[in-house]
Amino acid sequence: MVAGSRGDERAWIRGAQSGSVPDLEALFKHHWPRAYRAAYLVVHDSGAAEDIAQEAFLAAVRSLDRFDRRRPFGPWLHRIVVNRAIDWSRSRALRRESGDAALALVAAAAPAERDDTEPLAAALADLSPEHRAVIVMRHLLDYTPGEIAEALGLPRGTVNSRLRRGLDELAGKLDEDLR
Amino acid sequence: MKHLDYSAPCEREAGERTWEVVRAAFEERLPSPRKRDWRPFALAAAAAVILAAAFSPPGNAVFGSLRDAVRGEQNAKPALASLPAPGRLLAESSSGIWVVQNDGSKRLLAGYRDAAWSPHGLYVAAVHGNELRALEPNGRVHWSLGRTGRLRNPRWSFDGFRIAYFAGRSLRVVNGDGTGDRLLTRDVRPGPAAWQPNAHTLAYVNRAGDIEITNVDKRNRSAIVQTRAAPRQLAWASDGKTFIAVEPHAVEVFSKRGPRIGGLDRGIAQVSAAAVSPNGKRIAFVETRGGRSTLQLTGVPGGPTGPIFEGAGTFANIDWSPDGRWLLLDWSSADQWLFIHSPVQKVLAVSNIRANFGADSRIAGWCCP
Repeated sequence: MVAGSRGDERAWIRGAQSGSVPDLEALFKHHWPRAYRAAYLVVHDSGAAEDIAQEAFLAAVRSLDRFDRRRPFGPWLHRIVVNRAIDWSRSRALRRESGDAALALVAAAAPAERDDTEPLAAALADLSPEHRAVIVMRHLLDYTPGEIAEALGLPRGTVNSRLRRGLDELAGKLDEDLR
Repeated sequence: MKHLDYSAPCEREAGERTWEVVRAAFEERLPSPRKRDWRPFALAAAAAVILAAAFSPPGNAVFGSLRDAVRGEQNAKPALASLPAPGRLLAESSSGIWVVQNDGSKRLLAGYRDAAWSPHGLYVAAVHGNELRALEPNGRVHWSLGRTGRLRNPRWSFDGFRIAYFAGRSLRVVNGDGTGDRLLTRDVRPGPAAWQPNAHTLAYVNRAGDIEITNVDKRNRSAIVQTRAAPRQLAWASDGKTFIAVEPHAVEVFSKRGPRIGGLDRGIAQVSAAAVSPNGKRIAFVETRGGRSTLQLTGVPGGPTGPIFEGAGTFANIDWSPDGRWLLLDWSSADQWLFIHSPVQKVLAVSNIRANFGADSRIAGWCCP
């Protein structure tokens, strides 16, 4: 399969709207890696990233019949993924049930599922979810600050300042690691 | 920083699993009509008439199955492929408890019974033999507590810091991390108990059949509520200001200090289950009369009651989806679960519940998107 052009994507969506499983599969395979990676880089939990990306695709399937083929599919999907990833990270931070300490101990004892040898991903994990989200959208998904602002429902200035602060913080952390 | 090239852990495996889920959802979706004709509008108009009737004051039309025999809903799906709203289900059966994920995948925790979600769905409290256990939905046990007497009905407080449970003929409380187990009272009827939201205050039924409301930390009783008949179920409204008591022939509504503020006397009908909606404004309850059961909906203070589904035989249990948009009705006589959109717009039926979940299966909780 050649990397999907806009024409390919329209054809896949049209096919999927007509009930074609191969077309849906092509659409899925084209968009899954970036959707999953974006979710993972915001939540840093592979199980949660899978759930979030899966929910976004299921939402896509549910709305497939109503989807306007003239619009690109990726931004619509990524908006769902990143917003849900931010919500998940915030709610995770708020969950303080009794027994969390025990859970942390168990998690610490389990083999690390994240490849922490990659300093950039590890440093990204230390930022706030909001900063992670704008950096992921800008530098993984390649959206412009204006597009990020629209997707996240933020003023463009806020996106720019989050990008600037996030990148500064990231650079600081990477410097520390390299020292 | 230009472009971030990154391959996330488990990306391929997660993609393969997700594709199977997405394909299954795709294959069972209902295609939308390709040709626009007047039939959808006629159906919508008919639905509007039915809705208007269903939510008019008493004397309402009944939405649902009106049959003499227990045949269940037609067009029921043979298995639960997905939940219509976010969240996860707990179901109990003779073989254990089932954790059902949003995509319909399920895991059996064999040998467990009497299960309850923690407030955020991170853990499950359940009974295994003579032990009360706190475990993750994947089965990993965090702690267990052995006690004599039949253990039953663990219930988490709003914050997860306390769990109330029955051991034999006593009511006990343990901290959410398994420490500090203590006796609360022996003057209790094992079964119904409900935590007040935003407090460590528990409502339960004493041996006389009256409701006692007690702060378990201070051990001071704030109210005793006299009832006409011993309640079989208690549930608080989400604001913690009122609670309902399901009596054999009535649903009573009380303020947290005890005075009765409303209720529904159902005459000869047997009231078997009730559930307060997540926003605390509506009560769904099930009543059975003359071999037929009806799912009714009313406001929390009582008032007009609307039947929203009727069928032959017994409705065993009901629960609200976490977002309050769906009711899950366990139509045990028809071996079906019905997901009923509220307000009533559609009914999604799933059959073969006993085959899929085991004998004596019942809904234990729908939690946490």
